[in-house]
Amino acid sequence: MTGAVGRGKNQTQWRLRVVHTTGYRYATAVTQSYNEARLTPRHDDRQNLMVARLETVPATRAYKYTDYWGTEVNSFDLHTPHTELKVVAASVVETTDQATPSVAATWSQLKSPDVLDAYADYLEWSAYVPKHGELAAVARSLRKGCTPQETVLAVSKWVHGKLKYQRGTTGVHSSAVDAWQAGEGVCQDYAHLTLAMLRAVGVPARYVSGYLHTKPDASVGETVVGESHAWVEAWTGEWWGFDPTNDIPIGHRHVWVATGRDYGDVSPLKGIYSGGAATAIEVTVDMTRLA
Amino acid sequence: MSRASSRPLFDGYLDPRRPHAGAYDEMFDPVDGVRTAYKRLHDSLMPLQPADLTTRAEALDRALVDQGITFSLSGEERPFPLDLVPRVITAAEWSRLERGVVQRVRALEAFLADIYGDQQIVADGVLPRRLITSCEHFHRQAAGIAPPNGVRIHVAGIDVVRDEQGDFRVLEDNLRSPSGVSYVMENRRTMARVFPDLFAKHRVRAVGDYAVHLLRALRAAAPTDATDPNVVVLTPGVYNSAYFEHSLLARQMGVELVEGRDLFARNNVIYLRTTEGEQRVDVIYRRIDDEFLDPVQFLPDSALGVAGLVNAARSGNVVIANAVGNGVGDDKLIYTYLPEILKYYLGETPLLPNVDTYRCWLPAEQTEVLDRLDELVTKPVEGSGGYGIVFGPDASPKELQAQRRRIRANPRGWIAQPVVQLSTVPTKVGERLQPRHVDLRPFAVNDGDDVFVLPGGLTRVAIPEGSLVVNSSQGGGSKDTWVLAPRASDEDAELRGPGLGTPAPRTDSTPERGPELNVAQQQQQQ
Repeated sequence: MTGAVGRGKNQTQWRLRVVHTTGYRYATAVTQSYNEARLTPRHDDRQNLMVARLETVPATRAYKYTDYWGTEVNSFDLHTPHTELKVVAASVVETTDQATPSVAATWSQLKSPDVLDAYADYLEWSAYVPKHGELAAVARSLRKGCTPQETVLAVSKWVHGKLKYQRGTTGVHSSAVDAWQAGEGVCQDYAHLTLAMLRAVGVPARYVSGYLHTKPDASVGETVVGESHAWVEAWTGEWWGFDPTNDIPIGHRHVWVATGRDYGDVSPLKGIYSGGAATAIEVTVDMTRLA
Repeated sequence: MSRASSRPLFDGYLDPRRPHAGAYDEMFDPVDGVRTAYKRLHDSLMPLQPADLTTRAEALDRALVDQGITFSLSGEERPFPLDLVPRVITAAEWSRLERGVVQRVRALEAFLADIYGDQQIVADGVLPRRLITSCEHFHRQAAGIAPPNGVRIHVAGIDVVRDEQGDFRVLEDNLRSPSGVSYVMENRRTMARVFPDLFAKHRVRAVGDYAVHLLRALRAAAPTDATDPNVVVLTPGVYNSAYFEHSLLARQMGVELVEGRDLFARNNVIYLRTTEGEQRVDVIYRRIDDEFLDPVQFLPDSALGVAGLVNAARSGNVVIANAVGNGVGDDKLIYTYLPEILKYYLGETPLLPNVDTYRCWLPAEQTEVLDRLDELVTKPVEGSGGYGIVFGPDASPKELQAQRRRIRANPRGWIAQPVVQLSTVPTKVGERLQPRHVDLRPFAVNDGDDVFVLPGGLTRVAIPEGSLVVNSSQGGGSKDTWVLAPRASDEDAELRGPGLGTPAPRTDSTPERGPELNVAQQQQQQ
């Protein structure tokens, strides 16, 4: 561990309990359902996972594995008729603020064959993060006179200014271009749009799924309504994150769960079931500062 | 040719004006006449008159229809034409080919294990990471799945051709669900019925025991706690073009032929629904593409697969054969790196060379390809069946221009090869025998200890004059492929044992049919 980084004296450290409740309600009884949950916070030098637990109602036997992206996956299936599936993921994590990136790559370093090869996954286009000429032109203009690191901030700020946060306006299937054209979206859209523009100028960039504690001055023991959140990380000599939705750096209020090329690699809960139409039950994220 | 005039069947056979006259003819050496391998066959054919040929061909067609061998071409069922002249491979030629196929399968097994494991070959800088991550069939869902006996390529079909010198070269590897082995067995059965006299003059190695080897390999692949493994064949259904083969293999192995709806997962164990209750399944020989195999991991609206199957395999409770994600090993760009792959994992050089190939994703080679597009064959790196292939010499300037655009738009998606003048074998065309181009798909079965190569394989023949496209999906035909036994061998040759033309007796399978399964069909999606 790089001891000097991330534990400076102006770094805030929090201990947080996260209780994430999600699931589905079905129009008619479902007899079979197969699900994968990606809800367990990860561990790195900014975040320490102390305990994590996943429960379902009806109860299931979970099978855990680590996927290609390093995310812990809980897989479970149900075989008794049920009209509601509730998934509760609870965890306690210690977090701190992200240190300013200490290595700054130049544009020519980003273009080197080694970098292009090592970060190939994070430079490709996808359905969520499609190639788009006009967006690329904007990204190029934002890059002018900037280092890659500065460009990440410039693009994030541009996205922040361009989109209006609007809950429920976009579905889980909207792409970066959809959101940009609509001029509004949720955190997922902010992240996808930022990724599309960063990749357009050759900055490897990835999607981060996690949680955000919404009250900076929360007292110990206080439970607030948190958010299932998404932001981005870019590679400019090393990986570091930024939150374009809130236009803030990644800090002790951010809890990360998974990274991937886009939402498709990290979707918190996905599944297949037999039966009538499903509606998502109300998602709640309760976050309590413990220390 | 004057020599041919006394042999009406071969009249004009070696006409120097024929297309691709430089191709290697497997029966005739232009200088020395009939090659040793074909001497006896040639002597048997020589006295025949054109009318005899027609009679025999009609007998063959009737036999094929009786056996119900058809192949669906653009939705229309029709007999898969079997040519009456077999293709002969000598023991020495076969032994070289066999060793090359075994070497290739071993190297590709090691490659797939590495790619879905630590990716050491990438970490060591032997292959670029981008080569793997950009591969359409690199399925990240399969990362970390370790089959109990380490085998991922239970069945391989390595397509080979013979170049102008007669040397075998690999054209492509098929590591997903290579099909065609049923034609190998059925062609042999038909030929043995119609031409018993030809078999009497040759020591042809038997191909009828393929299912024994396949079943052995599938049982050997089973989870370690399965003492008497339950193997099933998973088919997309009766509308699939290879359904005949799926049902034949299931019948010969004495195992259930099932569709996705007959199976289900519970707590990462796969069960077969039967009228006598649930039956645990240990090994699934699946003939469904990865994308349709498990709606939880792949296409969510696929009704052909089994929800939860991939995680059942991940937890070690069931084995999927062939493994999920094998397509990364038969991508045609990865194919060009086979020499590096062989060297890295086995420390060996290829026993079977590739066909020379240009990689459009390397700028220098792309420039050359674009410059010489009119003389090269360009192929998509992904896909089979001959679809998307552009033959430069046959393409119009407009087609070439369109192809240039496609290559520039997606360089990773294309490779180019010189027009390989595939070898020719005499083939019945009208009332004569004419040289027609052939390839060969030998089938290899890996049981974890040994890689068995079925002595024979599917010889596909391009029927139109000069055509080099042999795919059955493009209207080609097939030939019975005779691998001759070494003179000293005491191996049972075809038609030497009791029961003419019947498959060898099965030793380790007990045929048992479960209750009749519901085969109501959904639309086939492959």
